[in-house]
Amino acid sequence: MDDFQSGEETSFVVDEVSNIIKEAIETAIGGNAYQHSRVNQWTTSVVEQTLSQLTKLGKPFKYIVTCVIMQKNGAGLHTASSCFWDNSSDGNCTVRWENKTMYCIVSAFGLAI
Amino acid sequence: MEEFHPHNDEMIFNADEAHNIVKECIEGVLGKADYNHNKVNQWTAAIVEQSLTHLVKLGKTYKYIVTCAVMQRSGAGLHTASSCFWDTTTDGTCTVRWENRTMNCIVNVFAVAIIL
Repeated sequence: MDDFQSGEETSFVVDEVSNIIKEAIETAIGGNAYQHSRVNQWTTSVVEQTLSQLTKLGKPFKYIVTCVIMQKNGAGLHTASSCFWDNSSDGNCTVRWENKTMYCIVSAFGLAI
Repeated sequence: MEEFHPHNDEMIFNADEAHNIVKECIEGVLGKADYNHNKVNQWTAAIVEQSLTHLVKLGKTYKYIVTCAVMQRSGAGLHTASSCFWDTTTDGTCTVRWENRTMNCIVNVFAVAIIL
């Protein structure tokens, strides 16, 4: 009889990470309007909260979380990323969020150890 | 006389080397161009791909992540932050900021050592 045990999941689960990121954004900048003096705190708190929730998942991964907040005033913003890693175990997740005054883009990359 | 050989467990990310590689790629792609909505997608893709190719050619046992943001200069505020959970002795990051009259470009390189 074959024992099918997947054991602890050691792959990057995009949905799980996406939820973690969305919560972190809502908590940090939820109902706020763009304020130059507070944006630094906001970006810091989004990345720190996301990272701490990711590490709490307890998986053998190294993580990189980046956050961009941009004021809405008509300017164009384009981002791209390219990764050299192991496709079977590593992954990334990007969440785009906006409100009336700003855009927030958070990317989380997970690399298996 | 002892020869200095960097062992695999003493690998350190060379940020200056990465900085130069990325700067050259940006100059090559954006050099004298003005912000052009139709071309920006090509530009960001070219910057990350070229940077990544050059980094991989260094032949070190690292996984790399390269991100690039190009923004039109129109007075809007842009803030970025990043946080990393890794091995600080072997892993590292490098950020290159570049600008010209019509646009800003920010490229981040993250290098994570592969444990063999």
